[in-house]
Amino acid sequence: MTAPRGALRLIDVRKSYRVGPVTTEVLRGVDLEIGAGDLVSIMGPSGSGKTTLMNIVGLLDRPSTGRHVLDGRDVSGLGDDALSRLRNAHVGFVFQAFHLLPRLTAAENVCVPLVYRGTGRRKALGRARAILERVGMGDRLEHRPDQLSGGQKQRVAIARALVGLPALLLADEPTGALDADTADETMGLLLELNAEQGVTVLIITHDPAVARCCTRRMRIDGGQLHEEDSRPPGSAGSTAPRRA
Amino acid sequence: MPGILPILGANARQAVDSLARARLRTALGLVGIMIGISSVIAMVSLGEIAKEQARRQFEALGTDVLLVRTLTTMAGSQAISLADAIGLAEAVPAVAEAAPRILGHGEFRHAGRKVGQGRVQGVTAAFASINRMSLQAGRFVSLLDADRHFCVVGAAVADAMRQGGARRIVGETLEVGDILFTVVGVLDPRPENYALPVQVEADQSVFVPIGAAGRVADNPAIELAVARSSAGVDYRAAVADIRSWFRGRSPDLQLDIITAKELIAQMEAQMQTFALLLGSVGSISLVVGGIGIMNIMLVSVAERRREIAIRRALGARRRDIQSQFLIESVILTLAGGLLGILLGLAATWAICRFTGWEFLISGMSVASGLGTAAAAGLFFGFQPARQAARLDPIAGLQAE
Repeated sequence: MTAPRGALRLIDVRKSYRVGPVTTEVLRGVDLEIGAGDLVSIMGPSGSGKTTLMNIVGLLDRPSTGRHVLDGRDVSGLGDDALSRLRNAHVGFVFQAFHLLPRLTAAENVCVPLVYRGTGRRKALGRARAILERVGMGDRLEHRPDQLSGGQKQRVAIARALVGLPALLLADEPTGALDADTADETMGLLLELNAEQGVTVLIITHDPAVARCCTRRMRIDGGQLHEEDSRPPGSAGSTAPRRA
Repeated sequence: MPGILPILGANARQAVDSLARARLRTALGLVGIMIGISSVIAMVSLGEIAKEQARRQFEALGTDVLLVRTLTTMAGSQAISLADAIGLAEAVPAVAEAAPRILGHGEFRHAGRKVGQGRVQGVTAAFASINRMSLQAGRFVSLLDADRHFCVVGAAVADAMRQGGARRIVGETLEVGDILFTVVGVLDPRPENYALPVQVEADQSVFVPIGAAGRVADNPAIELAVARSSAGVDYRAAVADIRSWFRGRSPDLQLDIITAKELIAQMEAQMQTFALLLGSVGSISLVVGGIGIMNIMLVSVAERRREIAIRRALGARRRDIQSQFLIESVILTLAGGLLGILLGLAATWAICRFTGWEFLISGMSVASGLGTAAAAGLFFGFQPARQAARLDPIAGLQAE
């Protein structure tokens, strides 16, 4: 693995979709450079292209044109299998709707990324237990998602995103489905993990309070990305987010 | 390269769980496969059992028996001469033994009491050995008896005589038609094998020396000759030799030769028709069941679009998703297959009870049932699994 992990660059990335005769350009030349360990927020109204951007950064989608460089390696031309592998090894997802698998226990949910890289069940469960303990869910290992609160589900989801030691944690509206207090706790956990494990965190949000917690803030609008302002890293982790 | 076993293990666990949840749907899918597999099982088992049954029967009663008779359908056809029938064994090396038969019919009376009614068969000693007849007392008739009024009685006739008070059957006097015969032998009971070319009906018969048969038979001509081919001789060669020998003796004779082997071949052909019938019933229900499985799997894939997308986001490759759904459909059809094997064996057992065959479970049939079930799962699960693997994860994640 090339060091440092978690550095990524998008160079003039464009993405367009064609529905019948109509071509819609969702990303219009996005340039983005994120260093390893950065804590970045991207804000934007709906339809601004932020989900598409996240899908490309998360290796679920490929740019129509432009380059996507991950830890010095151009991944824009990779095939589906290679992208799946890379996604498994490199990216952890946290979704607004949690997206836990409803039939699996918390521990089994956390195991899923490890299973797809061929880790044995016993070993995977051990790692899952450790990371669930880290996020404060050590006493809920055998609970199924429907037995957990929203905040607890998101903690399990964060554990699942991190269990495979990814370089990049992608969070799409991670607090969008949570009440204010739970949202604060969840953000606090993300900030801690960023500081503690050095994982690069990219949060897509429309919540300014969430964005304020991040060291770098960007805004996407009309398929174009702008950096707003930056704070020196280190002053982020201690600041509890406050909602407007 | 990641270990494939953990992925397969997790997929199998997932599959069982998912099938257990959709119980009604799973049950419906199972029924079709179950019926299909049970037909396959019944087909293969019955085929094997019938074959085994035939093998045992022929082994006990002789696959080397052949029957020589004149074609009675030909007008003015000539009968085989006694000398030819007796000389056949000595003259043709392919024939080990030969015996003529003159066939009559009559009523048997003992001490003024009717003890039976049946065939009166004028034969020689070789007739008993060719047809595997054995004696419980006395001796069989032979050419040496010439035209003397000796007879050997079948087991049923002997039983009837005993019921009438006869102590020792041998030595008693039996009225055949209205002619008196002295009993010199009593046969063991002999089950009739209708698959063999010669019908003996020994139990209800009385056997007399061929020289004496003319007195009791309406038609004193030789009805047929039975023969046993020599060891190691192909039945077709024996038939050809017999034909050529008779051609030299009496060229006008129209011979009809039936061999046990020929009859076995016919029986096997019939069995094959039967198996084919079962097989087509089985394959039709398998196809119907398979389409049911495919339908179940397609519904399952549609319902689990989000799950598939999440798994893809977490790093599952297309082939991982495909194998998950393939395993699910194979587990489904294997479960149906196991039930089908039980049902098929039960049906086979019932048929055996009905036909009097000996029931046996053949490993071959169980293996072919399981193999067919697994193959059906792979075949009918392929398209749904492929569809699952090709779902767009982005759309799946956004779907509510």
